[in-house]
Amino acid sequence: MKMSSPATIESPLLATASTILSSRRLWLVVAAIAIGLVPTVFSDTYWRTNLIICAVNVLLAIGLDFVLGYAGQLNLGQSAFAGIGAYASTLLITKLGVPFWTAFACGVLLAGFAGMLLSIFAVRLRGHYLAIASLGFAVITYQVLLNWISLTQGPLGIYGIAPPPPLTILGLPSISFSNPANFFYLIGGFALLTYILLDQLVRSPIGDTLTAIREDEVSAASLGINCRRWKVFAFVVSSAVAGAGGCFYASFVGTLVPDAFFITESFSILAMVIVGGMGTLIGPVVGAILLTVLPELLRGIGDLRLIVYGASITLVVLFMPGGIVQAVRLIAALLRRRFANRPAGTDP
Amino acid sequence: MIVATPSAVDTSAQGAGDGILFRADRLQKRFGGVQALRDISLSIPAGIVFAVIGPNGAGKSTLLNLMSGLYQPDAGKIIFAGVDLVGLPSYQRARYGLARTFQKIRLFKQLSVLENVIVGFHTRHEIPVWRYVVHGAAFRRDQTRCRDEAMTLLAFVGLTQRANATAGSLSYGEQRLLEIARALATAPRLLMIDEPAAGLNAAEVEALLARIVVLRERGLTVVMVEHNMDLVMKIANRILVLDYGQHLFEGVPAEVQAHPGVIAAYLGGEVQ
Repeated sequence: MKMSSPATIESPLLATASTILSSRRLWLVVAAIAIGLVPTVFSDTYWRTNLIICAVNVLLAIGLDFVLGYAGQLNLGQSAFAGIGAYASTLLITKLGVPFWTAFACGVLLAGFAGMLLSIFAVRLRGHYLAIASLGFAVITYQVLLNWISLTQGPLGIYGIAPPPPLTILGLPSISFSNPANFFYLIGGFALLTYILLDQLVRSPIGDTLTAIREDEVSAASLGINCRRWKVFAFVVSSAVAGAGGCFYASFVGTLVPDAFFITESFSILAMVIVGGMGTLIGPVVGAILLTVLPELLRGIGDLRLIVYGASITLVVLFMPGGIVQAVRLIAALLRRRFANRPAGTDP
Repeated sequence: MIVATPSAVDTSAQGAGDGILFRADRLQKRFGGVQALRDISLSIPAGIVFAVIGPNGAGKSTLLNLMSGLYQPDAGKIIFAGVDLVGLPSYQRARYGLARTFQKIRLFKQLSVLENVIVGFHTRHEIPVWRYVVHGAAFRRDQTRCRDEAMTLLAFVGLTQRANATAGSLSYGEQRLLEIARALATAPRLLMIDEPAAGLNAAEVEALLARIVVLRERGLTVVMVEHNMDLVMKIANRILVLDYGQHLFEGVPAEVQAHPGVIAAYLGGEVQ
């Protein structure tokens, strides 16, 4: 937005300082610090587990938002892509003894590849039809995971999945991921990196291109945009990110059952994106954290919590269609206007 | 300025040599039982304003949609600067230098005015793909260049003040001008304008005409679909008249005005 300011400053030191202070980077630093501090604040296993689930959900939600909020394609296959990532990486590790990070990369690639296959066929469809096609894919994937017992052990599940091997960085004491705090740093760090990557993409002309496709495909095509190719691209990114979430999920929980990737997961992720605010990357982050933590906070009120949870989602969708992010922006704009008006009002 | 990019002016270089930029041969288009276009042939020399007129339902918009690639013809040829366009989707035709606006305005309503124009630079970014992820000086230079060129285009259509407004919040007339600016961002050699005057008041129509004349002076070829005769007579160099999907007449404005068949088609009478 304000690209001219660093260019006009002569001193490289001042220039760097001003770039660092530009609010976006500041917020990324704040986020990094928050990820660093959060496991020390919540030191019991219960909350640390929730933190890790939170981070996995953040990954799934920002992945979905890339294809839904920007490219405007409703992908209800997130649960399947996470499942593909989780099962692929876990089976590679347990059956073939592939090292964790190689298996992780394969899981991500395979989930991305599945997303590509689905989207190559599905991008011909629009709106509800695309949603139904991707939902169908999620159902099929779930059924395969459930019934291909020789490979996935079906409903019996896969047990005793080892956490990632300890990480050794240049002579520092090795970091063990059997410690949930360290595991959280791993996933939280990965989620932050993914966020930065997606943020860079949506701030590049790719973001404009995807938004143009969301707004009007015919007119996007009249400007030289190959809509089909870009929709496939968005799908691949989205499913690969979900695959990464699935891999981490499996190695953290240590147990894999197909039910973890039932289609309702896709809807939970969708709810996170909508409640937080579609078409902004920060929205799904807020939504994912809120909708993961809220049910846990409400455990004290028993089964009533499901009603409160459902009601709060309904209220947000009814009264804040742009999600929490839009609501916050509205309030901020209101405050700013009031603040700006005050001197003018008091003068005469 | 931006219109006079090399691709916009070297129109004769790749043409057939006779200065014809766009040629269509015996185009046919049928929708179910309706023959929307029958045997339409036309030749558009570079650098003129070519108008297509006719009563409602004459097939004007169908012709434009065939030219831009939104529809494919059932039969016939479309040659643009020596390239056969039949079968090419609209995004590829845009890359050859065909740009268009829409009768029913199709802006990216939630994007800002400036962003709408910047999307038009899609095929003209000058940075390697990895720069989209790792932004740097080259990326910012490209961003600045697109922004500056987009602002120039907005200044050209008189929307500088509205650059940061949401496209959906513009008045009807402003939206039409923005569609033209967005189409120009693709650096076209041929600009197709569908019903530019629809929904505009007299002052807005005047402003729009003045812009189209400037574009022609800069060497851009303009194809305009319009049913407002007065407007067409003012700026068109050649006019094609369609009626019920058929070629009725083609000629310069004076000839068209004097042609009894055209008058009959417009007044709904019988040809004497």
